[in-house]
Amino acid sequence: MPKPTISSDWMAGCAGCHMSLLDMDERLLEIAGLADFRATPITDLKEPDKTGVDVGILEGGINNSSNEEVAHRMRSRCTVLVALGDCAVFGGVPALRNFCGADEALRRAYIEAESNDGEGKIPSDPELATMSTVRALHEVVPVDVFVPGCPPDPDVIAYVLTELAQGRMPEVKDERLHWN
Amino acid sequence: MPFYRSHVLISVDPECIARGAHEVLDALNDELMVQGLFDEVQVLETSRLGDPYRFGPDLIVYPEGVHYACICADDVPFLVREHFLKGRVVEKFRALETVTADEELGAPKAKEVRIVLRNCGKIDPHNIEEYIAEDGYQALGRVLTEMNPDMVIAEVLRSGLRGRGGAGFPAAKKWQLCRSNPGDIKYVICNADEGDPGAFMNRRVLESDPHAVVEGMIIAAYAIGSAQGYVYCRAEYPIAVQNLNLAIQQAREMGFLGQNIFGTDFSFDLEVRMGAGAFVCGEETALMSSIEGRRGEPRPRPPFPAQAGLWGKPSNINNVETYANVPQIILNGADWFASMGTERSKGTKTFAIAGDVVHTGLIEVPMGITLREIIFEVGGGIKDGKKFKAIQTGGPMGGCLTEAHLDLPIDYESLAQAGSMMGSGGMIVMDEDTCMVDIARFFMEFTQEESCGKCTPCRVGTRRILDILEKICAGKGTLADIDRLELLCAEVAKNSLCGLGQGAPNPVISTLKHFRAEYEAHVLEKRCPAKVCRPLIRYEIQAPVCTGCTVCSRNCPVNAISGERRHAHQIDPKTCIRCGICVQVCNFNAIDVLS
Amino acid sequence: MISLTINGQSIQAEPGVSVLQAARQNGIQIPTLCDHPNLTPYGGCRLCVVEVKGLRVPMASCTLPVSQGMVVETETPGLRQSRQVILSLLFSERNHFCPFCQVSGTAVTSDCELQQAAYHQDMTHWPMQPQWNNYAVDTTHPYFILDNNRCILCRRCVRACAEMSGNFTLGVEERGAASVVVADANLPLGQSSCISCGSCVQVCPTGALIERSSAYQGSQSQLTVTQSVCAGCSVGCGINVMTRDGHLVRIEGDWNAPVNHGVLCKQGRFKPAHEQRQRLTTPMIKVDGELRPVSWDEALDAAAARLKGVECAALISPRLPVETLYAFKRLFKDGLHSHNVVSLGGEDAGAEYAAHASLPLEGRLDMLSHADCVLAVGTDLTNTHEVAGFMVKRNLQRGVKLIVIAPQESDFANLAHYVLRPGAGSVADVLDALSCAARGEGSAGGEGFAEGEEAAETLTALLRSTGLEADLVQAAAQALAQAAAPVIVYESDLYASPDVAASLVRLAEQVGALDAGRKGLLSLKGSANSLAAAQLGLDGSLVTNGSKAVYLALGDDELPEYLVRRLQAAPCLVVQAAYASSLTASADVVLPSAIWAEQSGAYLNLEGRLQQANAALPVPAGVSENTAVLQSLAQRLQVALDGDWRAELAVRPSLVTLTLN
Repeated sequence: MPKPTISSDWMAGCAGCHMSLLDMDERLLEIAGLADFRATPITDLKEPDKTGVDVGILEGGINNSSNEEVAHRMRSRCTVLVALGDCAVFGGVPALRNFCGADEALRRAYIEAESNDGEGKIPSDPELATMSTVRALHEVVPVDVFVPGCPPDPDVIAYVLTELAQGRMPEVKDERLHWN
Repeated sequence: MPFYRSHVLISVDPECIARGAHEVLDALNDELMVQGLFDEVQVLETSRLGDPYRFGPDLIVYPEGVHYACICADDVPFLVREHFLKGRVVEKFRALETVTADEELGAPKAKEVRIVLRNCGKIDPHNIEEYIAEDGYQALGRVLTEMNPDMVIAEVLRSGLRGRGGAGFPAAKKWQLCRSNPGDIKYVICNADEGDPGAFMNRRVLESDPHAVVEGMIIAAYAIGSAQGYVYCRAEYPIAVQNLNLAIQQAREMGFLGQNIFGTDFSFDLEVRMGAGAFVCGEETALMSSIEGRRGEPRPRPPFPAQAGLWGKPSNINNVETYANVPQIILNGADWFASMGTERSKGTKTFAIAGDVVHTGLIEVPMGITLREIIFEVGGGIKDGKKFKAIQTGGPMGGCLTEAHLDLPIDYESLAQAGSMMGSGGMIVMDEDTCMVDIARFFMEFTQEESCGKCTPCRVGTRRILDILEKICAGKGTLADIDRLELLCAEVAKNSLCGLGQGAPNPVISTLKHFRAEYEAHVLEKRCPAKVCRPLIRYEIQAPVCTGCTVCSRNCPVNAISGERRHAHQIDPKTCIRCGICVQVCNFNAIDVLS
Repeated sequence: MISLTINGQSIQAEPGVSVLQAARQNGIQIPTLCDHPNLTPYGGCRLCVVEVKGLRVPMASCTLPVSQGMVVETETPGLRQSRQVILSLLFSERNHFCPFCQVSGTAVTSDCELQQAAYHQDMTHWPMQPQWNNYAVDTTHPYFILDNNRCILCRRCVRACAEMSGNFTLGVEERGAASVVVADANLPLGQSSCISCGSCVQVCPTGALIERSSAYQGSQSQLTVTQSVCAGCSVGCGINVMTRDGHLVRIEGDWNAPVNHGVLCKQGRFKPAHEQRQRLTTPMIKVDGELRPVSWDEALDAAAARLKGVECAALISPRLPVETLYAFKRLFKDGLHSHNVVSLGGEDAGAEYAAHASLPLEGRLDMLSHADCVLAVGTDLTNTHEVAGFMVKRNLQRGVKLIVIAPQESDFANLAHYVLRPGAGSVADVLDALSCAARGEGSAGGEGFAEGEEAAETLTALLRSTGLEADLVQAAAQALAQAAAPVIVYESDLYASPDVAASLVRLAEQVGALDAGRKGLLSLKGSANSLAAAQLGLDGSLVTNGSKAVYLALGDDELPEYLVRRLQAAPCLVVQAAYASSLTASADVVLPSAIWAEQSGAYLNLEGRLQQANAALPVPAGVSENTAVLQSLAQRLQVALDGDWRAELAVRPSLVTLTLN
């Protein structure tokens, strides 16, 4: 029986959730014994297998058309989709830009930021993805498992992956549930 | 915003101008300036006020509503000094006949029985003697000299009078509960807040026959053992407030209010308190909070007002119409009242018919009359020959009833069982050109705006429900949204603190029940079957019919119509804002609304 | 007792209790948000809804009184769903993004009740995404921040502002989804009528109201909480001092404290965290006009040398605990036989009066909470002893009549129903005028006063001498005379003049304040341990003429400017203090000592209640605890500091019954 496969990707996030995943330290090896890690932003493969994976993990919210493509791609290629971290679960820190508007956020970042040299220019290449409001993952595709946290504790990620690797749906509650 | 204490409407109808209205206008402005009243009295030009041949030049002064007729420029200085400086109406200039036709309350139609509305439009509400001439205060006299409080309660109980504000609780039972609670100080309150959009029955009674309400309250106070009453009248009814205050003053002068009424040891006085623009203050506990000077928020019950109400004292609160029925019940007897209506809903009910019927306005009919009779007989049927679609009863907390319910006899139970409610008596008739999703959205917009904000389900829930309805009307809804709508409606109705939140989802629930297909059309097909929801409709010029007259393109406010003279025109759907002006001006009916 | 059933369990409850209270008393937990045990129930969040057999809709258990035979369910599937929906609605209403909020945490560390409620319901995501209009964060207040974006409109803050301090600053503007908590008529907090009592911050369940000094310094679970007593004034509020790693983080009112039940004023709650003064960290001796750091032994030896065998005056701050006051008294008065051993504010003549009056005269603080008429003589309780003022202010809407005799305008006078502003004449005249007028109203008789016509004549004369209006005095007197539980509150200097004191007692008797064992008088007595100082004989004012040395045991206190100037001229000044000042700069010997939070000790509040303050912070290196300094000094001066301060406190007659156990 082939081992279950796990693939991950990230969108509008800080990569902290993947760092927390790596913080599982040696437990990563235990999980690797139970399941195969396929494409992730920190491994070599470029995209989730076209033939599909068992578990798909997405970090980060949806901030532009490119993120949306990533979300749809992962959703269509995995059986169980996991929203990892506060950004994927409800939008997280990036979602706060919904309440001042994209224009003000771009202006603040590219023109007014103290680290700019006064030559700030808002990028506008036609190849750039189109910005949208920042949305939680479940506003775009159906999600099966929510793992909140900023980032989720490595213990929690270990539990979730161990359960999924053994064909069980994890219950994220009690001491495994935290939003901070 | 400048505040004027008085407004003068002066007719500049061509006939009036021919008779010198402009000169009167100039003289008026000059004199007001001379007297230093220019910033206090606003002069507005308006169209015809009354028959210009008989009255012109004429003007009406508000808030008094005095109609001065046949004024010439020379009369103006005297008029201004007398009326605006000394505050005296100039009788010799006053028009001899009333100006406005009573558009909202004509002669009783067949099937109407006028009890509550019996005096409206027939007597002068500023003159207590006219009320007395119509057997006014006879009931009070009988009560105070021939009956004790228990007898009064028994009589009203036997009549079967139920609260006319909407809940339908037996009035006398409420009085009994209040009476039996311990305490020397008790209050009698009249709920004259009438906030339902489209309801104006109470307003008419308060404006045209305030003494009926006053007398009813005094009798209730006697039955309960109260010495002080309040009428809480919404501020948007200034004439009602004015007429009530005048009625109270005149009743005092006649000895019907105050100490030792009719020489007995019963004393009672009444005061008017005004609302300040909040629908939620029609809810009895929020109303009492408002009278106490607090924020108009409802309180949890128990304790009920009969136990601990205004300032913590046992209080009885009834609707205007409930009190207005009481004198007639005493005069004509409980059996008379109980002879009208159904098994469980006795007497008559006033209704305000609004919407797509031929005859809108007020009616008063015995309970048990069917919706069909109201809409098609009394109401004259659907106007412009359209088809009946639905009728909303009970205001924003009520539900929609359909063709299937037309033969429902109207009473408290039958309406509730059908998923709606009696409410205060507002009825809005809707024809085939009404979008039921839009109607649900309209009512939810109202209740959302009026929510007091105290409890989470109503404050946030109505907002979320409204968001979904707006999404659906904008063509962005999904089936999951409809599921969420149903969940939210059920939860908001269950967990809200007061009737506003508990009833707010009703229009949505009932339209979902009876018109689900319309919702699904909006969601699955992005189509509005009634062709109302702007994002889902488009205006299309039918090329074979269009003559290229260019009237539409010239009138389009956003220049969405293009085309050459004598050639069929086109509407650009991206620019079109669906204002409907082109349809109105097209003389060839060449423009279709499609969805 | 009422019998009801909750979740199948038979329960007994007192009538009048809510279903929520009855459930909690029996170990059944019902989730709540807007409810707070020390505030009136609100019934707004709807999280505590329960199903009651026979009732059509779920009811909020916090506002539902128990009734006989009630059958209640708290954990049905329907209720669980409702709670999820209510929480989802709340999360969708405003900014409840947890990641970086100062009260956010895990189920163990979270200080946010909304987050805790969500954890409890196993919420892993938000079914409805938030949609809100951004509110500007109000950062205009010096001590705390109001972020309306975090608010759940539970109205605890509004209720606290009304029910705890009676200030009624906070309210809600607009209605429905546009409701927003505002100060006054939507003024920035820093410009509003807020008096910085901080009750709102203490009760806020989310991160909407947060204290500036303690924000992001750790969750409650990481703090050490020490129960103690505030040393700000003679009210003696119970406080919880919260520290972390030896640093002060936050001070909160102790809900269980019998004096204040959780309310505090800005002196006790916020000021300590905003201390600007510099600490003294080493003993110093003045050599050649300059203060030089020395060891403790050197400094104490130098001090002892200065004090030995000379006439010295000694002053102690009544912010210090009884143990320190006692050691001070034993050393200077009993040991060194100094003739001028006083406490700051000891001119207060309460003790002197107590020696002659028929005692006890005064009652307990909670009389203010239950009074139906309060007369404040010359005291502004919005400026001093604020918590005593709160007890009156929060009842003003419930019918308490407030009468103020005040020569000047004050916020407290502005709240009064009757303000007597005498143009001339003494306070005694005003009090006598009230007695006369009350007498005329036919209330209980009092001694030494004219009857009938004579009374009227005296009243006329008094009105003339004070310049007060007859109507006003009559109305105020009537209010006092008709009250069932009148209380008179005043500064202790009223006892300084025997005439005034006599008029006061006469008035109290006249209006029934001293009937049936009631002691409806309350003098404020100044500082935290002023009463203890008076009981230990440390009353009187500081006289430096003729003294060769002056010893000041200040602790963290400060002296008024005029006294500092006078002392700078003293031949020798030994100062035991915590903070550097112009006074310590002029001292000959400086002994750095602990502040209030660093030492344990007893405090005797204005109602004679003895309370224990507990040290919450370590004494810094190089600094010594106050009693220890005096003990070391006494040792060098060969004075024994034994004795029982408890017994000593009870020796002198006291105006108020002391409870010393």
